[in-house]
Amino acid sequence: MTECDVLIIGGGPAGLAAGIEVGKAGLKALIVDEGVRFGGQLVKQTHKFFGNEEFYASVRGFEIAEKLLEELRAMDNVELMPESTVIGVYEDGVPILHRPSDTTTLLRPKRLVIATGASEKFLQFENNDLPGVYGAGAVQTLMNQFGIMPGENVLMIGSGNIGLIVSYQLMQAGVNVKAIIEASNRVGGYQVHANKVRRLGVPILLRHTIIRALGKEEVQGAVIAQVNDSWEVIPGTEREFVVDTICVAVGLSPSAELVSQAGGRLQFISELGGYVPVRDENMRTTASNVFVAGDVSGIEEATTAMVEGRIAGLSCVKDLKGITDEKRLKKFQEQLRAFRSGPTSSKVRKGLEKLNLSFPEKLPRETAVEPSYEAYKGKLRPIIECSEAIPCNPCETSCPFGAITIGENINNVPVIDYEKCTGCGICATKCPGLAIFMMQEKEEKGTATVGIPYEFLPIPSKGDQVYALRKDGSVAGVAKVTKVVKAPNSTTVVYIEVPLEEAREVRHIKVVEMKPEAIVCRCEELTVEDVEKAIEEGYTDFEELRRRLRIAMGPCGGRTCRLNALMILSRKTGTPIEKLDPGTFRPPVIPTTFKAVSKSAKGGESSEG
Amino acid sequence: MERIERHPILTFKRGKKIRFFFEGRELMAYEGETIAAALHANGIRVLRYTPKKARPQGLFCAIGKCSSCLMEVDGIPNVRTCMTLVKDGMAVRRQKGRGEFLD
Amino acid sequence: MRAEASVVIIGGGIIGTAIAFYLCKKGMKDVVLVEKSYLSSGSTGRCGGGIRQQWSERMNVRLAMRSVKLFERFEEEIGMDIEYYQGGYLLLAYTDEEVELFHKNVAMQQEEGLDVRLLSKEETKEKFPFMNLEGLKLATFCPTDGHANPHLATMAYAKAAEKMGAMILTHTEVTDIDVQSGQIKGVLTTKGYIKTSVVVNAAGGFSREVGLMAGVELPTESYRHQIFVTEPLEHILDPLVISFVNNFYIRQTKSGNFIMGQGDKDEPPSHKHDPSWKFLTEMTEKMPHFFPFLKEVRVLRHWAGLYNMSPDAQPIIDKSDKLSDFYFAIGFSGHGFMLAPAVGEAMADWIIYGSPEEVDISNLKMERFSKGVSREKNVV
Repeated sequence: MTECDVLIIGGGPAGLAAGIEVGKAGLKALIVDEGVRFGGQLVKQTHKFFGNEEFYASVRGFEIAEKLLEELRAMDNVELMPESTVIGVYEDGVPILHRPSDTTTLLRPKRLVIATGASEKFLQFENNDLPGVYGAGAVQTLMNQFGIMPGENVLMIGSGNIGLIVSYQLMQAGVNVKAIIEASNRVGGYQVHANKVRRLGVPILLRHTIIRALGKEEVQGAVIAQVNDSWEVIPGTEREFVVDTICVAVGLSPSAELVSQAGGRLQFISELGGYVPVRDENMRTTASNVFVAGDVSGIEEATTAMVEGRIAGLSCVKDLKGITDEKRLKKFQEQLRAFRSGPTSSKVRKGLEKLNLSFPEKLPRETAVEPSYEAYKGKLRPIIECSEAIPCNPCETSCPFGAITIGENINNVPVIDYEKCTGCGICATKCPGLAIFMMQEKEEKGTATVGIPYEFLPIPSKGDQVYALRKDGSVAGVAKVTKVVKAPNSTTVVYIEVPLEEAREVRHIKVVEMKPEAIVCRCEELTVEDVEKAIEEGYTDFEELRRRLRIAMGPCGGRTCRLNALMILSRKTGTPIEKLDPGTFRPPVIPTTFKAVSKSAKGGESSEG
Repeated sequence: MERIERHPILTFKRGKKIRFFFEGRELMAYEGETIAAALHANGIRVLRYTPKKARPQGLFCAIGKCSSCLMEVDGIPNVRTCMTLVKDGMAVRRQKGRGEFLD
Repeated sequence: MRAEASVVIIGGGIIGTAIAFYLCKKGMKDVVLVEKSYLSSGSTGRCGGGIRQQWSERMNVRLAMRSVKLFERFEEEIGMDIEYYQGGYLLLAYTDEEVELFHKNVAMQQEEGLDVRLLSKEETKEKFPFMNLEGLKLATFCPTDGHANPHLATMAYAKAAEKMGAMILTHTEVTDIDVQSGQIKGVLTTKGYIKTSVVVNAAGGFSREVGLMAGVELPTESYRHQIFVTEPLEHILDPLVISFVNNFYIRQTKSGNFIMGQGDKDEPPSHKHDPSWKFLTEMTEKMPHFFPFLKEVRVLRHWAGLYNMSPDAQPIIDKSDKLSDFYFAIGFSGHGFMLAPAVGEAMADWIIYGSPEEVDISNLKMERFSKGVSREKNVV
């Protein structure tokens, strides 16, 4: 394609949404993207999106990308060009570099939609350039796009939504997140995201900063320290973490260079992440033929990026055809206003005000009146732990019985009517924050059934024993799985039975995966393999093995394992068992309490006190 | 730094198996992986050494913005390996310094 | 801000800051330099940074040789490393006309005492084996030519002048020059009025506009010239290489980037700063022919600056005959950076002592245009 009506730069949520609107109007559009795959950051998002169900809320990011692309691929008048970069906007055209063929093509589009997104902010600490220090986006790319683990143990810097979400995704991929550190005195992201990682046992250390990465060629550790009110390191509070990966999630800055080259004015607005294009409510920049959408126009999120993309697309249509679907345009503008009206958008609102774009605040309902516990205890019902006003409503729209209400303001916290609720549990699978749990008390047994939204592997089966974890990740005990409800969206609800007093605390499970193992020592959980390995390492005497593996040092006193271990030793070394020293048999042969020992009386004497 | 085989949400559709060379060593990759991703899957995180201070550099942004991942690919220096697909038979080298065209 | 100054210099490029430095150095402390943006924001900061003495006009050779002397002492005198590097200039001749001219030039340059020599194609090949010299007839090479970093040089002059008492006002625009009955009374700026009787116009691309503020018509016009750098590579190219018929110059910076540009005959006069795709396509097509390895090298940044052209492509260094103490150092036609030290020194001498001491600049006065024009030929 050498001629097009609208050139859309960037194939992320904003660009694709703009492409759909331009395509629908029958105009020729070309969407160019740098990456090897279209969808931008969407393809790396495995979590369900917040927002309005009309706008893909509760759908996972990578699935949204697929839906948008499917729609675009069906349009003959829209072309997608991957692995290509618009390298500049010149007075005499817009050249596109196609990297695989290393060629450029010059286009003279009638309108430009610049949806180039953002780039990762780079935090300054010692050795911040060491291999193993990644931006959060890179970790997501490796892990979620290519299926490659970035490391084994990660320290996350930053507790904004990205830091929290990526931490959760790392744990889902089987990578251990040692801690999340945050320099300010509060968690930056949504409470529900923070709760998700806390119940996995990942600590969030507030008022902490990273001082340096350790390692010569690659990251081998990190030194962190506490900071005071002026964000200065408090000497003496330094501590080391043994990690091989440091993930930096301290924010993004808009990639607006092409807007500037196209003649659009940029303005520094810290609330929006840096230099952003000056633009009007139709996403038109000060260069009249140039529109913007998405993170390039201010760091926000994919949902608003898609709405902005639609608006930019419709505005191009209006310019080139003289008319557009005004109703639709108004609807999108209204949606943006609704989305940005809540308390979590206050920063964005402040930033947009500096561009003379007014998005009124609408005070949401921030506390839900909890229905009387006494009236409904014993009924299987959802417990909604969503007390922060965030723009999100899938719980309301997914309930088949109309039992959950968000109301007109999408930022309201949900209210539930247990009279209408049937306990079906659909809301628990839909909630993007995984903040809805099922509960049913069984007072007569002194237990409760708790249903937990679960997005990990392996998925347990009914009857399995699992660890029940509390909100802070601590182990409450072992619990039996009573029901497993799988949903098409990969959020499984696992029902477990817990002691009644733990019902309001237990919010996660950990499945102990049983590998087919032949256990030699029950107390220390040693397998045949473990013992053989130690023997191969040169521990060929039972007492040596004992000190190496702690075999026969547990509560059983060696009654289970001693003979087994000796037999393995004999087999491996070729020494007949009768020639082997069986080691000492130390008393007591059964563990005995201090009390029992200290109160000991001599034989024959009455112990009557 | 291995490939994720099982994931609760995602299924990875990997391309054809191909081989490529890193510092002369033959490694395996899947078609559709970027050079940097394929190297990571093989446990290689040091991608180059800087010209002035010889500091090792790895992958940082993975979207072609930060220039940390420049390597020598098939004799051509300064290739952004985070956004260049690995190809069968490709020869990849750690870049030391600014890169040279004249050997 | 000072309300009064002995001299007000308009323009914070290399010329203005060099004049400020030499004025201070020679004892005049209450100098004010006014720059509408930041230091080196105009042509200086956008130029290639070459420093050459191989000119076809004798006056240019002298000025440049004096400049090189001053550049050689720069770090010692001013105390700042400006990445000055004497890697030479290699001028390539491809036509018989050029061969003839080069012979003539070298003879004249040698007369002036410049260490410059003719190189045959074979000698050139031996020195620079990585170049494709197809069609080359002759080259000239001057080892004491070189290049420096224009930003650093400007900053160095400005900082040194400031230390000696000058006031450097950036982000301050001169809006008018107050003239009363043939005398300068002061300069009106966006930050206020400065009383002065001496003004130096060192406004580069805007020299004509500044002249008009004082009611003086100056024969300069500005043209956009484009330039770009590649990604940095290991160092291989010592000299700055020029071909006039092929219309290019190229050098490698200290940080390893190749920087290059060309002139465009069709470019209309303007103050445009935007680069064009056409320029880049032409350059990227042309340059790998001469430097084959460039084919795989990536363009890193591309921009444009202004050549403030005079009618004969040589600078105009003069003072107004209509207006007392209105000096100008303008119309450098694309080679102001390399001449700045000598011009700064000459201008300061002229203002303080009434005549330039070190180098004769009489041929660079306006009156030359009434006698007919001998145009500098060694220009890209």
